[in-house]
Amino acid sequence: MDLRQRFARGEIDAFETLVRQFQGNIYAWIVRIVRDPSIAEDLTVETLWRVYRARHHFRPDGNFGAWARRIATNLAIDYLRRKRPEETLLAEPAGMSQPDRVLQRETRQKIQLAFRRLPAKLQVPAMLALVEERSYEEIADALGTSVGAVKHRVFRAVRLLRERLTKLGVRPE
Amino acid sequence: MKEYDDREIREALKQSFPPSNPELGRDLWLAVLRKLDARPAPVPWYDWALLGLSAGVLVFFPRLVLVFAYHL
Repeated sequence: MDLRQRFARGEIDAFETLVRQFQGNIYAWIVRIVRDPSIAEDLTVETLWRVYRARHHFRPDGNFGAWARRIATNLAIDYLRRKRPEETLLAEPAGMSQPDRVLQRETRQKIQLAFRRLPAKLQVPAMLALVEERSYEEIADALGTSVGAVKHRVFRAVRLLRERLTKLGVRPE
Repeated sequence: MKEYDDREIREALKQSFPPSNPELGRDLWLAVLRKLDARPAPVPWYDWALLGLSAGVLVFFPRLVLVFAYHL
């Protein structure tokens, strides 16, 4: 019997094989959204737990990776909704503490904060499209929506971010 | 005041969110298994009380089933 069919029937061995096969992809997708490895690991475990609990809804002829990614994306959106933007600020990576020619540390933090204050539904497609350069089709699939809706959300995110950065007095160099 | 254009917004975001390492550092299977084995959250007492109350009402006033059915 096919691995996905065995998983849908609740066979734990089949699920283990699928976890080992897909955990890296799910983690990589989530960390691109939340930008924190430890949070991304927790959300990956939560995703895989939900995947198993929802196995009855999985069609064995369907795409397991895409289905799991959609669950992961929804969890990441929920995480960003719950989290205060200040708590998601990234630490300066090593070697970046010196004044940067393009953007100063303070400016980067203001931009991060302004971005994290956008609605989670806008943040996620904007992060994936603008920073991670993922295709609109891939993002639409992960969000369970249309390419047009993704483009619209990215457009709204950029417009809102521009307004907020202008209000904060953050200008391009 | 000069505003960011789309290209500048994209560049500013890329510099504000440095690339994250997409490599998973460890196998998560055991963590998933532990979570699956964890006992489900216990049903709170007030849910049991509500269930008991509803069952009691239906036992003593069986005709109320019709009222419930009408409103469902």
